[in-house]
Amino acid sequence: MINSINRRTVLTALGASALATPFISRRSFAQGSDPIKIGVLTALSGAQEFIGNFVLTGAQIAADQINAAGGINGRQVQLEVRDDRNAPADATTAARELVGLGAHLQLGTISSAIALAMGPLMQQEGGIALTCGAGTEKLNHENYSDHVFRPGDSPYMRNRAEAQLLAQRNPDVTTWTGLVPDHEYGRTTWAVFMDGLLQFYPEIAKKEVEILDPIIVPYGVGDYRTFVTQAARTPANGIYNSTYGGDSVTLFQQARPFKLFEDRILMDSANEFIVAEALKAQTPSFWTGIHWYYETNKGNPLSDALYADYVKKTGNEQPMGWVAEAHAALYAYKAAIEKAGSTETADVIAALKGLEWDTATGKRIMRAEDNQVIKDVEMIYIEPDASDPKGYKVTDYVKVDGNTVIEPAMPGQKMELRKPT
Amino acid sequence: MSITTVRPLSFFLSLAALLVVALLLPHFANRGIIFLAGIVAINIVFGIAFNFAFAKAGVLSFGHAMFFAVGAYATGYMTINQDWMPFLLILLVAVSAGALLAIVTALLALRRAGGVSFAVITLALGALIHVIITKTTVLGRNDGLAGIARPPLDLGVVSIPLGVGDNYYYFLIVTCALAVLLMWGLWSNRFGRSLQAVKSDPARADFLGIDVDAKRLQAFTISGTMAALSGALFAPWAQIVSPEVALWTQSTMPVLFALLGGSAFFLGPAVGAILFGFLDYGTRTMVGVSDLLVGGLLLAVVLAVPGGILGMLSTLWNRFGGRRNNGATPVATSEVHQ
Repeated sequence: MINSINRRTVLTALGASALATPFISRRSFAQGSDPIKIGVLTALSGAQEFIGNFVLTGAQIAADQINAAGGINGRQVQLEVRDDRNAPADATTAARELVGLGAHLQLGTISSAIALAMGPLMQQEGGIALTCGAGTEKLNHENYSDHVFRPGDSPYMRNRAEAQLLAQRNPDVTTWTGLVPDHEYGRTTWAVFMDGLLQFYPEIAKKEVEILDPIIVPYGVGDYRTFVTQAARTPANGIYNSTYGGDSVTLFQQARPFKLFEDRILMDSANEFIVAEALKAQTPSFWTGIHWYYETNKGNPLSDALYADYVKKTGNEQPMGWVAEAHAALYAYKAAIEKAGSTETADVIAALKGLEWDTATGKRIMRAEDNQVIKDVEMIYIEPDASDPKGYKVTDYVKVDGNTVIEPAMPGQKMELRKPT
Repeated sequence: MSITTVRPLSFFLSLAALLVVALLLPHFANRGIIFLAGIVAINIVFGIAFNFAFAKAGVLSFGHAMFFAVGAYATGYMTINQDWMPFLLILLVAVSAGALLAIVTALLALRRAGGVSFAVITLALGALIHVIITKTTVLGRNDGLAGIARPPLDLGVVSIPLGVGDNYYYFLIVTCALAVLLMWGLWSNRFGRSLQAVKSDPARADFLGIDVDAKRLQAFTISGTMAALSGALFAPWAQIVSPEVALWTQSTMPVLFALLGGSAFFLGPAVGAILFGFLDYGTRTMVGVSDLLVGGLLLAVVLAVPGGILGMLSTLWNRFGGRRNNGATPVATSEVHQ
């Protein structure tokens, strides 16, 4: 079990946070010593439930830590939790309700579509949304909004960092293809990864790369063997994967008889421990991007405390990185409110822009121009290990300096990428 | 009670009551409730539009989400990319697109298939529209269209900024009321009665000189047009349109509203949509069990009360209330009422 937060825990949290107060106006919430209400709007049911539960846990741990240390400017933090059901219509209803309840400072969005909906919504309703893993690059480009912030790494940073690491570690792996889901997220991540390969291989490995057409795989199907054989027939010695969750588990499992990943370097965009937890000793060896790995950040007091509190709260010793995203988001609000001396939307937006604050992954800086954080990008190398109770182990972990992979701020403009000639 | 009986007073009183509550809501409810009320108003139009073809003309559709989606995407696309267009023109084009799709669907399928066969064809067409949307870059593929603005409403002499305060909400409520009024007019007049004749006995209607195919096509077109209007109103309200609005699950919604409220009644889908809104809101914090709870309750209502809420109330009224002394025959729930 990758997360021991069960439904009862979630229900308890929700029940406690959501009494029938729909007819209370936001104006009726005084400042003074009343608790500061923070809305946690994330996927607690549906296909992204397993990520949403990590987000909720991270926010709860951060709230407990902040409250135990005296709160924010002497005021306690109170979480108002809602399930966005991974559906824009449900999410926008809940976000508006939370604003009406006084929880105009919100966090937790993991779906790209919902994150994109938050810009005009929050502008209209006077709130702020901090995303916790939403992948779309449009957030800080063509759909930029003053009211939406990404306190984590963007797909641009993540996938370029992965390409940079490969150029350093595997300079001889110069022929690449991808297993890319037929989805906006899949195409974007592949395009960015190609951009990274085209920049870093010539710069670092002093070699040109050959990029083959990616294998576009359908979303949510049960049989990937056709695509696996298609990939196995290519001369690529490096494979990039941006399929996700259950799709990756199925695909990696079905790739085993074809030995697809045995003689090739596999770079996985963002599955963290999802595949390894499912396949255990049958997992292939691969690099994967991760929002936070506690071993990488050992010695950072915030990371150590987060890990200890997570294990204590859930009994699970393998947290996924989304825990730290929500944790960092709530600490961002704390730092911004303390800096602004206010919880008013305009004041908090002004304080968040350019904010520097400490998190479980180290210091993060919120770039003022496009509300995109600058932080290090983390990756781990997972290998199967039948002797380990988990069936796998992390044998390497790295951080890539975020400044070396982030794009210039271009709010309102499309991302510009290198393309193979 | 005759199936052609029309009681304008009760309809207008019901509509007026709903309108008053909806228009007063922003004065005492929070933003989430107001947003949900807007969604309920849209669902009322969507539900009645579906029921217009289903209950009045006997044309069952399992793919009404395609009309909703066409209206929503057309409005979203034009609002974002053709911002020179007046909002009313955008709505007109979006609604016309829905009407065109309904005509094409009816011409292709309605003459060749009826009943469940036609319903399955609409389901397949709806799935096709969903796939087309997810593959079309200008429609945002799987991300949909985000950042849909609420443009000003230019009425010639005055321009109302719909993006300010609750202006769009009021516009939405008034437009939905007008749409309901229009559909009620069509439902209750001679045209509506001819549709009823087509549904009740097509052979006899044909013998009496009613062009059965033409009437079905007209009913389906009106239904699709109004469903597109509900989608067109939805896009600036939610400010995002994603492919989920074209999914089969969206097509089940008006069916559910009609069955829940009572498909035999003009306002049945409205009652269903309102009740569904309450259920959805009341169970919003019950993670994981909310869908199960809502589904179970709906199933229970549909099974226990086949005529829907209004059907049950009508039966009770006839048994214990207004019909006690005049000896009139109780109303059968399969009949269609205003």
